[in-house]
Amino acid sequence: MAETDDRYDEGSVTMPDFGDHVDNGIFSQILEMDESETDRDFSGPLVINFFDQADETFDKMDKAVALKNLDELSSLGHFLKGSSATLGFNKIRDSCQVIQQYGHQLNIDGTTEPDGDICLKKIIEALKTVKVDTKTLEKSMKKFFGLPE
Amino acid sequence: MGGTRKIWVRRPGSSATTIQISEADLVDDVRDMILRKYANSLGRQFDSPDLTLSITPRESHRPERVLGPEEPMARTLDAYFPGGQTVEDALIVDIPVRRTPRPSPRTGPPHAQHLTSVLHEEVRPAEAATDYFGPGAESGASDQIPASAMSHDAGLMTNGNTHPATNGAINGAHAPTHPHAISVLSTGQVPQIPSPGGTRTRQYRDRPDRPRLGRQHTSSPTIIGNAIHGTHSIAGVSVPPIQTQATHQQTHAHAPESSRAESHSNATDINTTSSAAGGHQNPPPPAPPLPTPPVPESDATMTQASQNQAQAQAQQAVATPPARVASPRPSAAASKQLKKKKAADNASLSSVMLGGGVPPINVLIVEDNIINLRLLEAFVKRLKVRWSTAMDGREAVAKWRTGGFHLVLMDIQLPIMSGLEATREIRRLERLNSIGAFSMAEDGQSGAAKAETSEEDKLKNREAFKSPVIIVALTASSLQSDRHEALAAGCNDFLTKPVTYVWLERKVMEWGCMQALIDFDGWRKWKLFSQNKPESADEAAAAARKAKAKKNRLSVTAPPSEVQQ
Repeated sequence: MAETDDRYDEGSVTMPDFGDHVDNGIFSQILEMDESETDRDFSGPLVINFFDQADETFDKMDKAVALKNLDELSSLGHFLKGSSATLGFNKIRDSCQVIQQYGHQLNIDGTTEPDGDICLKKIIEALKTVKVDTKTLEKSMKKFFGLPE
Repeated sequence: MGGTRKIWVRRPGSSATTIQISEADLVDDVRDMILRKYANSLGRQFDSPDLTLSITPRESHRPERVLGPEEPMARTLDAYFPGGQTVEDALIVDIPVRRTPRPSPRTGPPHAQHLTSVLHEEVRPAEAATDYFGPGAESGASDQIPASAMSHDAGLMTNGNTHPATNGAINGAHAPTHPHAISVLSTGQVPQIPSPGGTRTRQYRDRPDRPRLGRQHTSSPTIIGNAIHGTHSIAGVSVPPIQTQATHQQTHAHAPESSRAESHSNATDINTTSSAAGGHQNPPPPAPPLPTPPVPESDATMTQASQNQAQAQAQQAVATPPARVASPRPSAAASKQLKKKKAADNASLSSVMLGGGVPPINVLIVEDNIINLRLLEAFVKRLKVRWSTAMDGREAVAKWRTGGFHLVLMDIQLPIMSGLEATREIRRLERLNSIGAFSMAEDGQSGAAKAETSEEDKLKNREAFKSPVIIVALTASSLQSDRHEALAAGCNDFLTKPVTYVWLERKVMEWGCMQALIDFDGWRKWKLFSQNKPESADEAAAAARKAKAKKNRLSVTAPPSEVQQ
C-alpha cells in the first residue's frame, strides 16, 4: 500500500501478509515498539493479551445476547473496537462496529432501527463472523510470533 | 457482497494510495472508506458527502468526470479502465471550496463595524487549501499551496478538475523557494517561536474578533499570545477584494526575496497610518518590526491604485496576530516529510532548553482498554516523558488532583465517569481554585475565592498547578459533532484513534513546549532532579504522591456495563 510504504519504510519490519485482517501500517507501528525484532517482548504479549480480551468479551457478548441486553452489547462492541483498531485488526474492528451500532439500535448508516429483534439478529450474525475472524487471525499471529497455537 | 478489490485513489498533488472496496460498493461507500484512509487530513474536517471523486479517462481528449454518489464503483472503473486500474488512473479525491457565508462588504468586526473585513474573509480559502494538501505538503512542495489557493479563490475549481494541471504547471515553473518564504509571507512575520510542527500557516487562525468557523483545535485557555491579540486593531480599508486576494496569492507563488525589503518600508508607512486612523477603542499596537508580505504589483505598474492595494495588504499584515503554537495536522502520507521539517523547526528550541528531546512534561493517560493503555504507555516511554495512568474518569480526576500534570490524554468513552465528565470536573476545579494565568497576580482575590470554595473542592497542593492542564481528547470517530462536544467540555485538542506514535509525539511536543514556557522554573527543578535520579524518578514520585496503592490494573476484561455512550 502506498501510504503505509511511505510511512514505515524506515522500520523495515518484515511483515507477513495478514491479508485484509490487518492494517499493516498500524500493526507495523506496534512492531516497531519492540526493542528487538527477535524478541518482540512488547508486541507479542500485547497481541496475545488482545486475544484473551477478545475471548472474554465474546463470552460477555454471548451472555448479553441471551439477556437481549442491547446496551451492554453496544458497549462491549465499542470496547473491543477500540483495542482492535489500535492493533490494526480491521476485520474484527468492523464487526465490533456493527455490534456497537445495532446495540444502539442504529443501522450502519446511522438511521434508527426500531425493531430490537432485528438488531439482535444482526448482532448475532456479526458476533459469529467476528469469532471466526478472530480465531483465524489468532492462528496466524501466533505463528508470526512463534508461539504454540 | 461479492469479492473485494483494491482501487487507487489520490489527492491532488499527493501520491496515490489504495483502498479496499467490495465489488458492490457505490461511490458513496468509497467516500466513507476514503475518509477512513485520510482520517487526519480529511476525516477531521469533512464528512463523506463533502468529498468528490473524479475519474480521469486514459484518452486524453476526454475530460475528467466527477462521479455521482450512486454509481457502482467497481463497474465504473471497469468501464473506464478495461485492463484494470493502474496507479496513474487513481481517482482524484477532492473537497469542495468551503462555502462560508460571507459578510457583505464593509461590515467590520463587532468592535469596529466601520471597518471592512472582506480582506480577511477572502483569504480564508487559503486555509482550506492548506488542509487540502495536508500541511506536510508545505515543506516539500511549498509552491502548491498558493497555487491551489489561487484557483480556489478565483472560483476556477469546484471539483478539483483543474488541480493536477495547475499543480504541475506551478511546480514545474518554480524551483524550491526559501524555506521560510511561505511562513513569512503568510503570517507577515518570521515566527518568533519555532512552533512545534507548526507547518500550517497561522495567518488566519486566531482572530479574536471573529468566530472560528468550525475549527477550534487548539483553543487553549493558556495560549500566551491571547492577551496580545486583544490589543491588535484591525485596520482594513475597502479594496476590491478579489483582486487583492489574487495578487496576494500570486506573490505567494512567486515569492521574490527582493521585494521583501521594499515591502518593509511600506509596512512602516502603513503602521503609522493605522496609528493615526486608530480611532476606535483599542489602541493600535506598537508597530512591530515585521517583514510583511511583499507588495503585489510590479514596480513598473505601481500606480496610485496599486499603492492603495499594497497599503491595504500591509495593514492587513499589521492586524495579523502574532505567531502562536499551532496544532499540527499532518496527513498520514506526509508524516515522513513532516518528521524532517519538525526536526528543523524544533532545532533552536530544543538546543536551548529541551536537550534534544520532547519537553519533560508529566502526562496522565486515561484509557479504559488495557491494550490501548499499554500502547500509549509504550509511546510515552519512548518519548521519555513522565507519565501516570488512570482507567476511568473518576480515577483521572483523582490523579489530576495530586498535581503536577501538564497534559492529559483523555479517552472520551470511559466507565464510571466519562472522559467528558472528567474534563468538566477538572475545569470546574481549576476555576474554583483559580488556576490560570491570573491566579498568581491576584493573590488576595484568589484567597477570597478559596474561602468560598468548599473544603472538598479545594486542591491540597495548589502550588503544583501552574496552569490549566492541557486535555487532549482521544476520540474514536472523526465526527465533528464529537469534537464540538469535547471542546465544549473543556478539551483543548484531539487525537483520533487509533493513535499513532508520530501524532502523539507531535501533540506532546507542541503542548509540552507551551507548558514548558509557562512553567519554566518547574522545568529547571525537574531537570536537576532527573539528572540526580535518572530512571525511576517519575514512578517513585508518582507512587509517593499517591498514598493509596493502586490495585493491579492488568485485568483485560471489558468494563462494566455503565459505560457512558
